Amino acid sequence: MRRYVTDRVVSSFFVLISVLSINFIIINLAPGNPATIMGAETGLISQDYIQYLTQKWGLDKPVYERLAVYLWNVFHGDLGISYRYAEPVSQLIFERIPLTLAITVPSIVIGFLVGTLLATLACRKPGGGLDVGLTTLAMGSYSAPIFWVAILLINAFSVRLKLLPPTGLVSPQLIGSNGFDYYLDMAKHAILPIVTLTLGTFPPYYRLTKSVILEQLSEDYVVTLKAMGLPRFRVLYKHVLRNALLPGITLFGIQMGFAFAGAALVENVFAWPGIGRLMLDAIMARDYNLLMGIFLFVTLAVVVANIVVDLVYGYLDPRIRRG
Amino acid sequence: MGFSRSSIRAFATGGFTAFSRSLDGFVGLVRFMGMSDLAGLIGLVIVIAMGLTAATISLWPLPNPNSMDYPMNQPPSLNHLFGTDRYGRDVLSRVLWGARVSLSVGLAAAFSAALLGTILGVVAGVYGGRVDAAISRVIEVFLMMPTFFLALLIAAVTRPNIHNLIFVVAITSWPTVARVVRGQVLSLKEMQYVEASRALGASDRFVMIKHILPQVVPLTLSYTILLVSNAMLLEAGLSYLGLGDPNYPSWGRMIYEGQQLIFSAWWVSVFPGAFLTLTVLGWNLLGDSLSRYLNPRRRTL
Repeated sequence: MRRYVTDRVVSSFFVLISVLSINFIIINLAPGNPATIMGAETGLISQDYIQYLTQKWGLDKPVYERLAVYLWNVFHGDLGISYRYAEPVSQLIFERIPLTLAITVPSIVIGFLVGTLLATLACRKPGGGLDVGLTTLAMGSYSAPIFWVAILLINAFSVRLKLLPPTGLVSPQLIGSNGFDYYLDMAKHAILPIVTLTLGTFPPYYRLTKSVILEQLSEDYVVTLKAMGLPRFRVLYKHVLRNALLPGITLFGIQMGFAFAGAALVENVFAWPGIGRLMLDAIMARDYNLLMGIFLFVTLAVVVANIVVDLVYGYLDPRIRRG
Repeated sequence: MGFSRSSIRAFATGGFTAFSRSLDGFVGLVRFMGMSDLAGLIGLVIVIAMGLTAATISLWPLPNPNSMDYPMNQPPSLNHLFGTDRYGRDVLSRVLWGARVSLSVGLAAAFSAALLGTILGVVAGVYGGRVDAAISRVIEVFLMMPTFFLALLIAAVTRPNIHNLIFVVAITSWPTVARVVRGQVLSLKEMQYVEASRALGASDRFVMIKHILPQVVPLTLSYTILLVSNAMLLEAGLSYLGLGDPNYPSWGRMIYEGQQLIFSAWWVSVFPGAFLTLTVLGWNLLGDSLSRYLNPRRRTL
């Protein structure tokens, strides 16, 4: 087990360095550097000042040298300074990351619960009306572009029903306050983004759990339990579901990546100031350091989630540990 | 491992054998769907209908999708079934033309990704050793990388046009195929008929082309079809963020334009999104059906 963990950590380390290097090279293939873009945008910065910025940020050095310096700094916990915000990248990311986690983590957890529940319901009568209906719902929801779903939900719940606020983090009149009302309002604003993301996260759980349950239903132990006269729903909820929950855990890592990608789009629709929006701003502004920092963070999150999933799975299912 | 001309020819023959087998498979697939897989049949119908629309759209009696000749923000009516947008363009025409961009990017990207993935997967699986280790490492890195963010990054640094879009989508989707193919090759390698062939003196290359490739291609095909739907969603996401090709009407961009009119003109965003969802659903249903067909053990699901 310990050897396995060490292997995983070492290979993850390799993955992270590769990802950083690939990003660094891609970004540096782009025409224009932050200094010239800033100059072009404002139109006020003189040529001398652009020169000064280029030198100050070390943009005149060769790519490999900058990459080496960058990697060295990252290992010392220094992600550099954002060109645009003139603040440390790590600080910017840590300011925004709670907001992204606030919509992604609930959507993964709720997606797991909803997907598993619906799969169990569908398996009460495989091929029946409920099964067909739920499978259609899951497939449709899985096929829909998430930003479009977000727009539909805003249209339905904000524009027509006027139940929930359409966009933003809090209502304008509450900005600056810090009490219970403030957080309640923020929670209300988070409902639609979470629902949108959940519509994307539940179908994989639904499909996986359903296939596992159907597989389990023909196992010997189920046949035995049925032969002993146990009611069908007891067999399903008490025995089969317990086994069917396990494989769902393996999806957490993949879903983490999916939810972050979805969040980049969803945050854009809902004007939710998380890390996805920060990334888009950084792309538009060619804010190299910020881009690299966000990329590193997202990759790290996915890598860590995968390792944790493996460990938890190994703990819960002894067959994996020995295998 | 240089490839001589004869080996290229042999590779092509192997590919052709695989293709003609897939064609036989296609007839079998349609029969299978007709008998026991309604969902797959629906998917096939959607895919064919959308494909025909995209191919023949220039012949349809529709207004030019880019001409701004009509009153602005008109709700759906008999003249404009899907209404008009804020520039006075016919939404129905734009939506149907949008099928072309979406499908061509989706297909081109998925097939390039499948080709790259299959080649790397087969090479890694057959040659093993260091080659395998190197390729597997690359696959691992790409699988761990958040693909959407990578696509965003590449799309942002390259000029937004349709070729770059295809490249971006392809370069982020090949690793899944490569991994599956590699796994399949590794298990095929242990098969007795391969062993028998080797005992008769067959070379790596012969085994790869004659025995492995024809077995792997059908599997790749079902993955490719699922990749098409992924590629279409990715293209739509990039276009939505303004990183698509501005010269063609694209569903993602239309949804973005509709988002600005969310309080006044729902039809501008709803219709393109509905068509995109329907098309993606069609490819997903088809891909699932194909994988059930190829893997009979899963047919009960």
